Amino acid sequence: MNAPAIEKPASAEALAKALHEAASHRLAVIPVGGGKARGMGDIPKSCDVELHTTRLDRVIEHSQADMVVSVEAGITLEALQAELGKAGQFLPLDPFNSPGHTIGGLLATGWTGPLRLRFGSPRDFLIGVRVALPDGKLATGGGRVVKNVSGYDMMKLHYGALGSLGVIVAASFKVFPKPLHDVTVTSEGGWDDADRALAMPVAPSALEIFSDGRILARYTGSRDAVDRVVGDLDWTIEEPSIWERHSRRAPARWARIAAPRSVLRRLVEALPRGAGWWASPGTGVAHWAIASDAPSVLDMRARTASAGGTLVMLDAPYDFMREVGAWGTPPKTIEIMRRLKAAFDPDGVLNPGRFVV
Amino acid sequence: MALPKQVADELRRVVGRESVIDSANDLRIFERDGSIEGAMPDAVVLASTTEDVAGVMKVAANHRIPVVPRGAGTGLSGGAVTIRGGIALQVTRMRRILEIDPVAQTALVEPGLFYAPDPSSQKACTIGGNAAENSGGPHCLYYGVTTNHVLGMEVVLADGSVHWVNGDTPDRIGLDLCGILVGSEGTLCAITKIKVKLLRVPPSIATLLAAFPSIETASQAVSAVIGHGIVPAALEMMDSVTVGAVEAHYHAGYPTDAGAVLLVEVDGIAESTRELTAAISKILGENRGYGLREAQTPAERELLWAGRKGAIGALGRIKPNYYLHDGVVPRSRLPQVLSAVGEIGEHYKLPVANVFHAGDGNLHPNILFDLRDREVLHQVESAGEEMLRAVVELGGALSGEHGIGLEKAAYMPWIYSDDDLDAMHRVKDVFDAGGTLNPGKIFPDPSRKAVHLAGRTGRAIEAKWW
Repeated sequence: MNAPAIEKPASAEALAKALHEAASHRLAVIPVGGGKARGMGDIPKSCDVELHTTRLDRVIEHSQADMVVSVEAGITLEALQAELGKAGQFLPLDPFNSPGHTIGGLLATGWTGPLRLRFGSPRDFLIGVRVALPDGKLATGGGRVVKNVSGYDMMKLHYGALGSLGVIVAASFKVFPKPLHDVTVTSEGGWDDADRALAMPVAPSALEIFSDGRILARYTGSRDAVDRVVGDLDWTIEEPSIWERHSRRAPARWARIAAPRSVLRRLVEALPRGAGWWASPGTGVAHWAIASDAPSVLDMRARTASAGGTLVMLDAPYDFMREVGAWGTPPKTIEIMRRLKAAFDPDGVLNPGRFVV
Repeated sequence: MALPKQVADELRRVVGRESVIDSANDLRIFERDGSIEGAMPDAVVLASTTEDVAGVMKVAANHRIPVVPRGAGTGLSGGAVTIRGGIALQVTRMRRILEIDPVAQTALVEPGLFYAPDPSSQKACTIGGNAAENSGGPHCLYYGVTTNHVLGMEVVLADGSVHWVNGDTPDRIGLDLCGILVGSEGTLCAITKIKVKLLRVPPSIATLLAAFPSIETASQAVSAVIGHGIVPAALEMMDSVTVGAVEAHYHAGYPTDAGAVLLVEVDGIAESTRELTAAISKILGENRGYGLREAQTPAERELLWAGRKGAIGALGRIKPNYYLHDGVVPRSRLPQVLSAVGEIGEHYKLPVANVFHAGDGNLHPNILFDLRDREVLHQVESAGEEMLRAVVELGGALSGEHGIGLEKAAYMPWIYSDDDLDAMHRVKDVFDAGGTLNPGKIFPDPSRKAVHLAGRTGRAIEAKWW
């Protein structure tokens, strides 16, 4: 494979033009944001052009009073948080392999972090999206209001689609006020303690459990409510900076297990003896730092699938990734997904072979 | 136009003789939904199972007959109106709860049941209709709208094929088909089963009512509350026209001297509702709020909400008919858009009552009139269009929760370019290449330049919701 051409357009229009140009020559295009999820997906069949969004890094508009922000896709999460922080606001997104994710990359990959327990994923707070399509068009969906049913929900079409239908060039979000009070506590009590915390009348905003039995729980909201639940739990107070350290995790070989929360514990307990993992039992998501062989991953994927869940490889060396495959068995609706792919990228130039369509 | 006998016979073979309605008299009650314009279906099919729905779709596809999925018919944008005739596919017989999982906090239901997000029509509307329209409601300010609560669905496509989209797992493989189908207004699929997220009932709820001298001051207070980092469960506004009508009808204790009234609700544990109530009361007071009242009993809380949810019926005391819009603006633009709405009402000499989801910036101006005055219809229509235009000019959207349907399809080019609409059309073509599913909705129809009230408007006196 020849080294790909690197293109870094300076505007959405220029990016759409570059994409169209490549598509009209049937060149394979890999969209790149912060490059933090390059290992996600199957190994692309070819890569003629890398289309970087990094120069699209402006905050288009932040309306403090409306708690809405519109940004270009290449802005990093940290730069956006700094801007929102000036107004006492934030985007409740704390993905792993931080820092350096771009907003476009986070939307395309669907990566989330511990705060998903309280705030949901960007699927829930993405209110508008602008996408460059292989035919050179720029298509917008949604808008800049927090509630909107004008036309199809095009945000859902592109969120988590790994750039297989178009390249996200801009996005609008509902943002949130920084919590009045924010306290983190820790315990060594394993799953039983996690279940206890999740059953209390005040739910944690994030709760992570680790393979060594340690738990981190984060409570945000009104001071009286947070103080009461922290008092009731009687765990050890932890430094809030622990979350930033947690978000840096990115094993060289890792997978994400997502399952109904009622079966997550059983699945995690079926991981190979001594495996390293961390999990959000309230959301039903676990991350596995893989130290075992490919068959062990295939075995886990089969167990996860039969419990109604999914196991997706987030990164691994080429040979390992080839052996296990990034996604596993395609969903039964794959034919509909292929038709959507064909409607937006008829020549299959975007991320060929990387996503399920 | 009656269905050809052969088609009617085929439908009866699918669902049974009694479940196909095609006599003109019986069809009349399916002519309308909660919106302004009606059209008679050629037949109504009462589906009881997914197989019924799939069978009907196949018959319709073979004969290229339009199909319009329909729940309780409470929608306000004409989504359930058979504007091009064909089959109204009624799913209200499908109302079983199939499964509740208290650990996972999920429920699998058929489309004919009520559920958590709370549109004001919740006494009647169906979960299938909510999913098709992506419905909202007062408490969606904090909890989110329908799409945030639907985990997966069983759907039937125009070709009669049955699919599960998404499901239990928080991260699926592949494209988010469920996400694109929720809110597609019956133009992409019929919905036959829905898996929804359930929430724990909050142990404590506090409901506050405050009066303000004007809509502007109340809007300021709304911005101030949210600007302090507080997102209440619900934050609703009613103007003086509405308050007067509601108070006369419900005697809920709304202050009738006020220019506007805010209804604010917070929930959680008692510690947090106490703290938030105190903080909100202080902010409302600082923003010229007066007559502050907190519901002391569940009955009192119910009464405060009954006034809000029943407001539109109460408006019948002023004029017998209403025409309602659902625009949404960035919250800080509320004072501007409401003053534009007021000016438009004055210009056309039509009373306007505002009662809406202020926290979301989702306004609901009701233009009040008397249908017996035939001259007035054109004025009502023009006033409504101008109000929507004002919404769009302030950076807003055509609909926050009622859908585009028939009513606002012609206005879609106000907010979307040809390229934007083309992208949506590609989605339509993937799911319904033959164009038989709910035709004439969402996308502008060049042959229908503008909306026409056509002598059809909501009857305020009958309405219990919007």
